[in-house]
Amino acid sequence: MSELQRVLCVEDEPDIQTVAKIALEAVGGFTVKICSSGEEALAAAEDFDPDMILLDVMMPGMDGPSTLAALRQRPALAQTPVVFMTAKVQPQEVAQFKSLGALDVIPKPFEPMQLANQVRALWDESYD
Amino acid sequence: MTDVQINLAAELARIGEDYAQRVRGELAELTQLAARLESEVDVRPFLERLHPRLHRIAGSGGSFGFKTLSKAARDLEVEANGWLSQDAVTLDLAQRRRFAKEVAALANRLTQREAAPTQAVAQAPSAKTTVSGNGGKVAVWLVEDEIPLGEHIVHLLGQFGYQPRLYTRFDAVAAAVQDECPDCLVMDPRFTEEDLGAVEALMASPSFQALNCPVIFVSASGDFPSRMRAARLGADGFMLKPLDIPRLVDRIGRILEERHAAPYRILVVDDDLDLAEHLRLVLSADGMDVEVLSEPEQVIEAVATFHPELVLMDMHMPDYSGPELATVIRHHDDLLGLPIVYLSAEQDRKKQIQALRSGADDFLTKPISDAELVAAVRVRAARFRQLANLMTKDSLTGLLKHAHIKEGIVRELARAQRTDHPLAVAMLDIDHFKQVNDSYGHAVGDRVIMALAHLLKQRLRKSDGIGRYGGEEFVVILPDCNLQVAQSVLEDIRARFEVLPFLHNDHEFRCTLSAGIASTLEYPDADDGQLLIAADQALYAAKHAGRNRVHVSQSM
Repeated sequence: MSELQRVLCVEDEPDIQTVAKIALEAVGGFTVKICSSGEEALAAAEDFDPDMILLDVMMPGMDGPSTLAALRQRPALAQTPVVFMTAKVQPQEVAQFKSLGALDVIPKPFEPMQLANQVRALWDESYD
Repeated sequence: MTDVQINLAAELARIGEDYAQRVRGELAELTQLAARLESEVDVRPFLERLHPRLHRIAGSGGSFGFKTLSKAARDLEVEANGWLSQDAVTLDLAQRRRFAKEVAALANRLTQREAAPTQAVAQAPSAKTTVSGNGGKVAVWLVEDEIPLGEHIVHLLGQFGYQPRLYTRFDAVAAAVQDECPDCLVMDPRFTEEDLGAVEALMASPSFQALNCPVIFVSASGDFPSRMRAARLGADGFMLKPLDIPRLVDRIGRILEERHAAPYRILVVDDDLDLAEHLRLVLSADGMDVEVLSEPEQVIEAVATFHPELVLMDMHMPDYSGPELATVIRHHDDLLGLPIVYLSAEQDRKKQIQALRSGADDFLTKPISDAELVAAVRVRAARFRQLANLMTKDSLTGLLKHAHIKEGIVRELARAQRTDHPLAVAMLDIDHFKQVNDSYGHAVGDRVIMALAHLLKQRLRKSDGIGRYGGEEFVVILPDCNLQVAQSVLEDIRARFEVLPFLHNDHEFRCTLSAGIASTLEYPDADDGQLLIAADQALYAAKHAGRNRVHVSQSM
């Protein structure tokens, strides 16, 4: 199993971008790229070559699910694990997100000091 | 808690404060919006505007320590969503009032900040991974079926500070890349044991393609078909056997330098802190290193310490205009080439042109999309870096030129005196270099110089300064470094250089170097020139004592 190293985080809100970057880079030790929209993620993802993608659900323009669908069209990203981040975490919604091909859902608000742990745990799980 | 964790906690606390300030403004707007619910007949448009904004606060507050705020916003969001899902939104006045009141009450939750997130810090895992996963060392894999030759090359690559690994079969590499990724792969594409198509199979495999790893071919034959095969396979380099190791190292160095260039440094000058913060986020999200300056008076100091590769500034600031500030910058000779770009809502083309006359390079008009901004900034910073490299760096070695390494000493000496940390300066010289040039020609001499340059780059820290002082003479600046450490670092470089084999027409030869070190510990009152003279005297003493040694300058 390879180690989780490169994390692409797609999030439109600057405050959350800042805190996610710290949480993933400084606490988690990952190499992180932040994209502010689904469109930006599509343009940057292949070059960045992430091991894992964190995707905000509600974004202006392309939302999380449509970004996921577009990412899956790219051969290089078809297998990359994607985790949604959202404040909506009703059980049936989680099931629906998973049915779209997401690995799991991390509920928002996240705890900055724990985010890297959560992400790493999901990564390990995906390789069981 | 470690220092890093304390810093993180402090950083998070600071971001939390900023967040609270911004959300306070946002909540005031939401309160006004919700208040309209009472008087409007059709509340749907208002709920539609409120819903996503409540959703955002629900999703963000807790990350900054405002958990009760998140919870309360979440409840309101769910309620609004429930109403919006009805075909016709029918709310009685009592419902509207209660909802508006609860939106207004959100602001009170801002005072309820939960315990700072420091407790959680202690349990957080420490950073586990590094860029190349090997303690920062560059992993170079060699595929070579002649084992003694392979082991020899691996040993030499290790001397240059790489983390080399030897494979004797392509299928072994194919298996290894499932789990690991080298920073560079060096291979002979023609093996006796494996099939002719083994290289093609390896390089076409999806897991190999996914690595995007640079590949250098080494081949016994340099004929056209061999070279074409390498080109078609997308190799980044092609070298002939017998392998010239310093040349290989140079090639690896150049490829990796291109791939891992330092982030562009951008200085944003803007009195609108929110906009500046936005620019910072957008540009740093693209991997740039951004500093924000809100007090234009300090622009020259900021440029001198941060060394930006582009200045992005507002046209209209309260006390000074952008063109005035640009003029101040351009009055410094050494800043004539620094790109200055205005970002402004100014639509008047005449005024834009006027602004450009004061020495700015371009004018970006707000509003501008993030992608456009990033592209505009990136392309100009890249051009500036190219030009700056041509001006400051030695074309053979990529090290600083004479004048610039001297500037580096002045800068580091000032810093050392300010911070009260020791500074060491060393001079290095390749022994009997004239003989190398005379016996093998200048092209070979250049390769010896390049090899030493690479050795220095590999073995020294990022914060150290390295310059080519003259023909075969180098200067190294070691900030925050005591004499013992400086001595052992240079001794290590000397020992590694001594064993490097150089090739000329199949004839192998070796070179040595001598070095002299001077430290501010021995010369607390010396200026940059005196420190350099002391290092030069120590170098002379090393030469006099028989060369191939490192001497330390002792004050009388």
